[in-house]
Amino acid sequence: MVWEGKGKTAVVGIGLSKLTRRPEAPLGALALDACRAAIEDAGLKPEDIDGICTYPDQPFAGAGRRDGEDLVNALFLMNHGGLAPDIKWYAQISTGMIASAPIEGVNALISGAAKYVLFWRAMHIPKGTYNSFRSYSAGGDGQFGAVYGHVHGYQTHAIAYRHYLNKYHQNREKMAALVTNSRRNANLNPGAFFYNQPMSVEDYLNARMIAEPMCLFDCDVPIEGCTAIVMTTADRAKDLKNKPAYIAGYGQNTAHRPEYLTYMVDSYLDAGRPHVGKIYERAGMGPKDIDVAELYDGFAPSTLYWLEAAGFCGEGEALDFVQNGNVSLEGSLPVNTFGGSLSEGRLHGMGHLAEAVRQVTDRADKRQIKDANTAIAIDGSPLLRGSGMIFTREP
Amino acid sequence: MTTDSPRRVVPQPDELTQPFWDAVAEGRLMAQRCQQCGFYSHPPRIICNECHSFDLKWEPVSGKGKLYSYEVMHMQSITGFEDRVPYRTVLVELDEQPKLLFLGYLPGADDGSLTLGMPMEVFFEKIEGTDQTLPQFRPAK
Ligand SMILES: [Zn+2]
Repeated sequence: MVWEGKGKTAVVGIGLSKLTRRPEAPLGALALDACRAAIEDAGLKPEDIDGICTYPDQPFAGAGRRDGEDLVNALFLMNHGGLAPDIKWYAQISTGMIASAPIEGVNALISGAAKYVLFWRAMHIPKGTYNSFRSYSAGGDGQFGAVYGHVHGYQTHAIAYRHYLNKYHQNREKMAALVTNSRRNANLNPGAFFYNQPMSVEDYLNARMIAEPMCLFDCDVPIEGCTAIVMTTADRAKDLKNKPAYIAGYGQNTAHRPEYLTYMVDSYLDAGRPHVGKIYERAGMGPKDIDVAELYDGFAPSTLYWLEAAGFCGEGEALDFVQNGNVSLEGSLPVNTFGGSLSEGRLHGMGHLAEAVRQVTDRADKRQIKDANTAIAIDGSPLLRGSGMIFTREP
Repeated sequence: MTTDSPRRVVPQPDELTQPFWDAVAEGRLMAQRCQQCGFYSHPPRIICNECHSFDLKWEPVSGKGKLYSYEVMHMQSITGFEDRVPYRTVLVELDEQPKLLFLGYLPGADDGSLTLGMPMEVFFEKIEGTDQTLPQFRPAK
C-alpha cells in the first residue's frame, strides 16, 4: 500500500564542506560549514532550524574522543550551530545506515515535532594509516579473523565479490565500464575529489590490487568532509526559494541481517530485495518508474548488488547491464551521476542522497538528466545493511 | 621488523570462546551446536540464530568442507602480516551445515591452485615463536 507520508516532506537545501584527502580543519568546523551552507541554500536562517539529526558513527575504531574532533554529535550543532534556542526534536542514529537519520527527520516533520530539520553526516580520516589493525592479539569475533590476517571490510567484500563473479560466470574486467563511467561523471562535478582526474579503462585494468579481485579503483576514496541537508514539510517547502525534492518513500534494510562471517556470502538478494521493495511500496513505484539511480559504491561491487536487488536487471546480470553506456548520463538508467563515492569521495551515501535531490530539482548542472522526475538513493550494501529514499519532482 | 618475523596475531580467548581454543590446542575442531534444533554457530554466539534457544554446547565438527571463496590480500595494514603480503584468506563452508563458515590463512599469492567449491580440510598450525595453535584449511589431500 502506498505510504500516507508520500510527498508530505521535501529536501529544500543542500550544503557541502570542502572535501579533503587529509584533515585540514577540525571536523566540527567542516560540519558547521556544511550545515550553514545547507540552511542558506534553503533560504532559511540558522535560528529557523528546530529539529536536527545525524548519523555520527565513523568507520574506524576508537572514534568519539572529542565531539567535533573525530565525529560530530547532535550536541555539537545544538551548542555551536546558532540554531533555534529551543530545539524541538533531535535524534542520533546508529541503526540501519546513513539515510536512517533523515528518515527519522521525515517522521518528525510528519508528526509535527519540528518545522525545519537539519541533517548532516560528517566523515573523519584519522591521522596515520587509515583502516589498519595494530595489535598482536585479537578478541571478540576478531579472534576468528584477525589471527588469519583478515580484518578489513574490503577483504570481506573481496571474498563476496569473488564468489559472485564465480557464481554468475562474470569477470572483474567488466567492472571498468561502471568505474570509468563514475569518473566521467565526477569530471563534471566540481565538488568531486577526482574532478580534474580522468580515468581510462586501461587505468582501471592496470590499477594495483588491494584485495583480489578488488583493485584500488573498486574502493572509494576516503575523505574528510561533511554534507548537510535541510528538510521541511511540503506545505512549508512551497514558500522557500528552491524547488523542493519531495520524499516519496523510504526504507531500511532489516531482513536477513547477517553476522560477521555470513555477511561475506551471497545473501545480497535475500536482504536487498525486501529493502528496496519497502522503498518502492511506500512510493507506489517500481524499477521502471525510476529515472536516475544513485546506488552506494563504497566498494564498487555493492552497486552491482543494488542494481539487481532494485530490479534494474536480473540476478547476476549487473556487470552486463553496466556495459555500452547503459548507466551513463545518456543511458537508459543513469547511475551515480555525480561520480559516486568512488570518484566524488567517501561521504557514506550522502553524496548519493544530495545528487538524487539535485536531479529531481534541475540543480545538477552539466550532469542534469533531462526530465528526471524520480531518483532513488540507496546507501550501504545489501551484503550488510542499508537505507534509502525515492525523491520526486512533484509531490 | 625483519621480513621473516615470526610474530603474528594470536587470539585472546574469553569465557565463551575458551573451549574452542582448548580443543584446538589438542588438535580438535569444535563448533557450538544448538541443543534444541541442532544448528551450528561459528563464530561463537550466546543465542541460536535459527531457533533462538540459549542452549548451545560445544561439539566436534569434521573440519571437512568446501572452499566458499577467498581473497588475496595486498595491503600492509594488519600487524604481523605486513611482510607476508600477498597472502590469501580462505573462507571454508563445512560439510555439517550450509554457511557454517571458517576463515583460514594460506601464505603466498594466487597461484591458480584454489578453485571455488574444491574440497578443503582442516589442519593445525603452531604459530612459530608462540605456544599458540590455529586451525587452518588447505585443499584436501
Ligand atoms: Zn537452535
